[in-house]
Amino acid sequence: MKFRTIKYMIREGFSNTYKNLLMTLASLTMVVSSLLIFGLFLLVTLILTFNLKQMEKQIAEVVIWLDKDIAPLQADDIELRLKNDERVLKCDRITKEQAFAELNEALEDPSLLKGYTPEFLSESFRLRLKDAGQIDEFAQEMRTFTGVEDIDFPKDFLDKLSLILKWINAGSMFILALLLIISVSIISNTIKLTVYARRREIGIMKYIGATDWFIRWPFIIEGIIIGLVGSVISFVITGYLYNALETYINSEAVVSGMSLIRMLPLKDIGGQVLFVYIIIGVVMGAVGSIISVRKHLNV
Amino acid sequence: MIEFKSVTKRYSNGAIGLQDASFTIEKGEFVFVVGPSGSGKSTLLKLILHEEVPTEGEVYVNGFSIHNMRRSEIPYLRRGLGVVFQDFRLLPNKTVYDNVAFAMQIVEAQPKEIRRQVPVALALVGLSKKAKVYPDQLSGGEQQRVSLARALVNNPSILLADEPTGNLDPGISREIMYLLDEINQRGTTVIVATHEKSLVDEMEKRVISLDYGRIIHDVQKGNYTNEV
Ligand SMILES: Nc1ncnc2c1ncn2[C@@H]1O[C@H](COP(=O)(O)OP(=O)(O)OP(=O)(O)O)[C@@H](O)[C@H]1O
Ligand SMILES: [Mg+2]
Repeated sequence: MKFRTIKYMIREGFSNTYKNLLMTLASLTMVVSSLLIFGLFLLVTLILTFNLKQMEKQIAEVVIWLDKDIAPLQADDIELRLKNDERVLKCDRITKEQAFAELNEALEDPSLLKGYTPEFLSESFRLRLKDAGQIDEFAQEMRTFTGVEDIDFPKDFLDKLSLILKWINAGSMFILALLLIISVSIISNTIKLTVYARRREIGIMKYIGATDWFIRWPFIIEGIIIGLVGSVISFVITGYLYNALETYINSEAVVSGMSLIRMLPLKDIGGQVLFVYIIIGVVMGAVGSIISVRKHLNV
Repeated sequence: MIEFKSVTKRYSNGAIGLQDASFTIEKGEFVFVVGPSGSGKSTLLKLILHEEVPTEGEVYVNGFSIHNMRRSEIPYLRRGLGVVFQDFRLLPNKTVYDNVAFAMQIVEAQPKEIRRQVPVALALVGLSKKAKVYPDQLSGGEQQRVSLARALVNNPSILLADEPTGNLDPGISREIMYLLDEINQRGTTVIVATHEKSLVDEMEKRVISLDYGRIIHDVQKGNYTNEV
């Protein structure tokens, strides 16, 4: 394609967007409402997943019990290996004395421990992994270490949680895709009206020998402009609502003294949301245009 | 340049557009296509334009095989054809100049070429003075001249006109018809579907007469009815 043609198409795209202001506003409204529904769903999914992951992190503590009569040097060796392991986020060594003190504290009646020394307890490591999903594999590996007596972690609970996360992921993908298809069809119907108003022009262009892409591009550019503007507007609205909700939840948390839901800070996900909005807005506009022009190109 | 070989066009509803039509039109000819309403004149022109495809038979236009053509080739076929319709088909929101320039823009002509060719085309149809005017400020005859200028600006080898004077007064029709003749004198092949009996008789061109989709006469220097 020649440069002046590209220039011509961009100019046409912009001038059509401006000339058909009413249609532009109608399409824009469609884009914004679709994106807001889409965004609402996306944010709920993000927050839910984030909270579940937080929960997983809190629960996913691995305790490695050492043999009671392990040589101190061997225990040091294991500690070193754990601390150097890339998957490990944090590793605390609980000596027999510490374990004894904790036990003492946990019991209602400390006299029960009378006559016992810390020696009857095992030394242990308490650790957290960077990714709770690796916990199974990690535990399997640790079991093979000499000097490791046993490994504890909330396996059932974690399995269930990861299953839930998987379903949420799959479900949200499905619903997001569905929303996308619905949005594209709504928008293409709106753009169809614009195209319909210009079908004469399209017909004339076809008779003179314009290629299909030459006719399509200005409409696609128009769709992209609407998609871009729509995604920015939606982003601003989303940000505003999100902030309001965050403030509300935080104040609730202050009043009730606890917070069940943790919101993701907007500055962490804002970029992601804007990116998704722009991609979807642009795709919606462009695909919508292509679909609406198609019928009129068959002359 | 144009060849129809036993062409039949049947529309999807069963209507016959053209029935077993064969003829050849050479470069530089001027041909009238006549016949009663519904006899297939428009169908014949539409087949040349690849607006319709033949149900049976073969159609060749400027080396393109209409009956067997890829969709992506259609624009390039049409760039060699100029078309004029009864209803002018101008863009109301563009000036006369822009309507004509538009035809060059969409075939990606150079701006310099556009600035040179558009005034030439407008001069040819006698509308140089109306370049900045919008179509709805023009008479019917003037609008048809604009559409002629648009059809000619890309220098097509063939000009197709489907009842170009159908909406015009007799005097104006005559002017347009002689303008087509002038264009033909410059070397463009011209094919005109028309009901203008007196003009056809007066101009003594080749006449192809249709009835119920069949060619009933094809006569050089013929007249409208071709009955003695
Ligand atoms: N798109 C179409 N679908 C179905 N039938 C059609 C179509 N176009 C034309 N026909 C039929 O084909 C026949 C020939 O039509 P065509 O338009 O070629 O006639 P014409 O000679 O141009 O008539 P007119 O002088 O009224 O313009 C008619 O019977 C018409 O009804
Ligand atoms: Mg007709």
